[in-house]
Amino acid sequence: MQKLTITGLALLFALSLLVSGCAKTPAQEDPMPEEKTIIEEVKQQEPTVVIDQAITEEEAAAQALAAEKAAANGLVRIQFDFDQYVLTDSAKGILVSNAALLTAAPAVQVLIEGHCDERGSDEYNLALGEKRALATKSYLVSLGVAADRMSVISYGEEMPIDAASNEAAWSLNRRANFKVKR
Amino acid sequence: MKYFKAFIVCIALLGWFSNVASAARIEISAPGEKTIPLAITRLLPMPGTTVSSAVAVEFQQVLLSDLELSGLFDMVDSAAFLSDANKLGLRSNEIDFYQWRLLATDALIKGGYKIDSGRLTVELRLFDVVTRRLLSGRRYVGKLTDVRKIAHKFADQIMLSLTGEKGPFATKIAYISKRTGRKELNLMDVDGHNSVRLTAHKTIVLNPDFSPTRKELIFTSYRNGNPDLFRKEIYTGRESRLSLKQGLNIGGRYSPDGREVALTLSKDKNSELYLIGTDGTIHQRLTNHWGIDVDPSWNPEGDKIAFVSDRRGNPHIFIVDVHSLEVTRLTHAGKYNATPAWSPKGDKIVYARLDKGVFNLFTIRPDGSEDRQITFGAGNKEHPRWSPDGRFLVYSNDLNKDKSIWIMRADGTGGRRISAATARDSHPAWSGRW
Amino acid sequence: MESSRKQRWQQLISMIEPGFKRMLVISVALHLLVPILYYTPLFPQAKIDKPPVYRVNLVNKIVENPQAGRPEAVVVKKKPKVKPKPKVKPKVKVKPKPKLKPKVKPKVKPKPVPVKAKPVVSQVQKNKQLSTIEKMKAKLEREAAAEAQKQKIEALKAALAADSKIDSPVKDAPVGMLDGTGDEAGISAIAAVREFIQQQWSFSEYQAFGSPEAEVKLVYNQVGTMLHYTFVTKSGNDQFDKSLIRAIVKSKQLPQDLPRAMDFEIIFNLKDMLDQ
Repeated sequence: MQKLTITGLALLFALSLLVSGCAKTPAQEDPMPEEKTIIEEVKQQEPTVVIDQAITEEEAAAQALAAEKAAANGLVRIQFDFDQYVLTDSAKGILVSNAALLTAAPAVQVLIEGHCDERGSDEYNLALGEKRALATKSYLVSLGVAADRMSVISYGEEMPIDAASNEAAWSLNRRANFKVKR
Repeated sequence: MKYFKAFIVCIALLGWFSNVASAARIEISAPGEKTIPLAITRLLPMPGTTVSSAVAVEFQQVLLSDLELSGLFDMVDSAAFLSDANKLGLRSNEIDFYQWRLLATDALIKGGYKIDSGRLTVELRLFDVVTRRLLSGRRYVGKLTDVRKIAHKFADQIMLSLTGEKGPFATKIAYISKRTGRKELNLMDVDGHNSVRLTAHKTIVLNPDFSPTRKELIFTSYRNGNPDLFRKEIYTGRESRLSLKQGLNIGGRYSPDGREVALTLSKDKNSELYLIGTDGTIHQRLTNHWGIDVDPSWNPEGDKIAFVSDRRGNPHIFIVDVHSLEVTRLTHAGKYNATPAWSPKGDKIVYARLDKGVFNLFTIRPDGSEDRQITFGAGNKEHPRWSPDGRFLVYSNDLNKDKSIWIMRADGTGGRRISAATARDSHPAWSGRW
Repeated sequence: MESSRKQRWQQLISMIEPGFKRMLVISVALHLLVPILYYTPLFPQAKIDKPPVYRVNLVNKIVENPQAGRPEAVVVKKKPKVKPKPKVKPKVKVKPKPKLKPKVKPKVKPKPVPVKAKPVVSQVQKNKQLSTIEKMKAKLEREAAAEAQKQKIEALKAALAADSKIDSPVKDAPVGMLDGTGDEAGISAIAAVREFIQQQWSFSEYQAFGSPEAEVKLVYNQVGTMLHYTFVTKSGNDQFDKSLIRAIVKSKQLPQDLPRAMDFEIIFNLKDMLDQ
């Protein structure tokens, strides 16, 4: 009987050790929200050459149309790292030129689509895709594109560019693309 | 002096008792056979029927497949059957149990069918061979095409009489199939037969869940350009949008009482868990964290929800208390844990873990103990969901790149593919008992 | 001197507390009481039954003739039976056991002599190698000889043991029972009954809910026929209890006689099945 009690006590002790051990498992630290290094483009002062031209309404419309076309065709998609929605430096560079295209065509409405590669759970990737689209949008806003011109949608891993299962396809699929709607 | 007397009496009593025990005491702490030997005879034509061996053959196949999945039985080879297998006798006094004892079987299934002007009647009996008693007797009447359904129902009945709880074989499985080239919602039997497509959205349909109370499904679809939560009545086909907030409306899961739906909304620019009513109004916000919170799954009591969050860096399983909104972390091992599903028995949570590039399924107790792997090897096993009795799991597996729906016992044994290998099927959901 | 000794004694006594003497007497009396009580009829001399030791083979099932084919077993069989037991009753039908597992014969496995395939560089090295190989061979031979000797001794011992009239409780225990009169040692009657009943019991882990436990009392006569059984406690799990009834009905007739009419109180549970 006594032996039993002793084993019982020992067990209890071991158990309590275990429990306290579990509780103390070092929780992973929250990753610090990464500071965004905002690249300030210092535009060089160019001598403003004033060209005086008579403009007809048709021409203005044609110009706007051209800008819209340029925006529609010129908006370049950006890529992301695995399980990340933080913009890479190269992505930021692309977004700067995209922003320029968008400011040139103020009538254009754009839909930003967030996508993921096939790895990971579908639901999680839907949320991740949305984070990517939102990160893209807020960066464009910081570059002066009006927020109400942009909407976002996430397709998660549902619409891959390349359906293959290799690193090249995956990195291609982790993206935010732009769709122009008028 | 008083104590002394008591002491003496005690000693005397002890001595007396130690003399009494004479029978040998034995403890048997495990059965010698861990399966029940079972003989399934073929259905025999009953008087006044048109003979159709196809009915008997199909019935046999379906019943055998269900009972094999149950893991309860060891089937007696029908080649060894003696003369009694060919006699229709359905009453215990008409059966030569001695013959069946010779084959060392414990249980026996006998049955007969009758086809009469398009109506099919099947009489079925489950006998205990050892005690020579009827365990279960059923008569099923239906259409000629109901053979499979009748076999599933009888398999459920056999489970009831041998385990005390009905089997899940007569239920349905909803899943997402890319058979048409687009992801659409489909419905099939537990053995993969009788599959039908329920939606024609021609966009992306995701992640269905059955209502526990009505013959109704919820799922997410991009039909209107945004991932909205839809509701669909299965038999009328009626469809409506249940939640159409800006952003994600995904991962909808009915509460056990069917009165609320837990889902992920991102209307505030971040994915959070919410409770909405069946009319779509928001009842409660469950999480509040800048991280990703998705994939809710209710416990059977309906007061806790397991979900996936990356609030500690990597995606892990957490549990939120619906009343206090207190969040506790469930999984600590692994780097990528997702798609939790809480057992209807409440004792386990199954989830998928991504490790070395492959998803495998794990189970863990709700207190975080007994975290164990139940599937192994190649092929991503994802989207696990429980059968309504908690004995089986349905999941998707892309072994050999053939993404399809698989089914297995809750301990990870007996896995088998049930949907076509070519349709890229995923996201199964198991109905309740209908 | 005398007086000083007395004085010292007095001094010593005075130092002891007044109640000490009485306490000492009582203590001695109480100590004496224990052996006295022990040998009076007041304290019945309970024979403490040693708990039965079960030697249960965990790997192989009981087999009828596990040592068939062993040379010494054949030798033993040639010996005239010491107690030829007249067959009282015709053997009840015995299902032919398909699993006849002969025990693994003890073999001497000669170690493969490692032969080096390397081209020999010098004669000295070659000689060296040859000598080591010779040494190894000699060692192997020695070992083999020792093993053969051992086997012979074992065989003789077995023969001797068979001769020396083991009074077995299981008179015609099949060969292979530890305390059988057969050729070899076997297991006890209780363990054999336990194993037999366990083999009759089939229950699936997928039927189990919780940790059911039931106790059954089985009454057997000397020829191994069950006279009756009673449930001492039921498990409350209907399927579990039914599976026990099936096992009991299947165990109506044991495959062998018992040393005497015996009662068994068997506790059935799933401890070893569910804990894995």
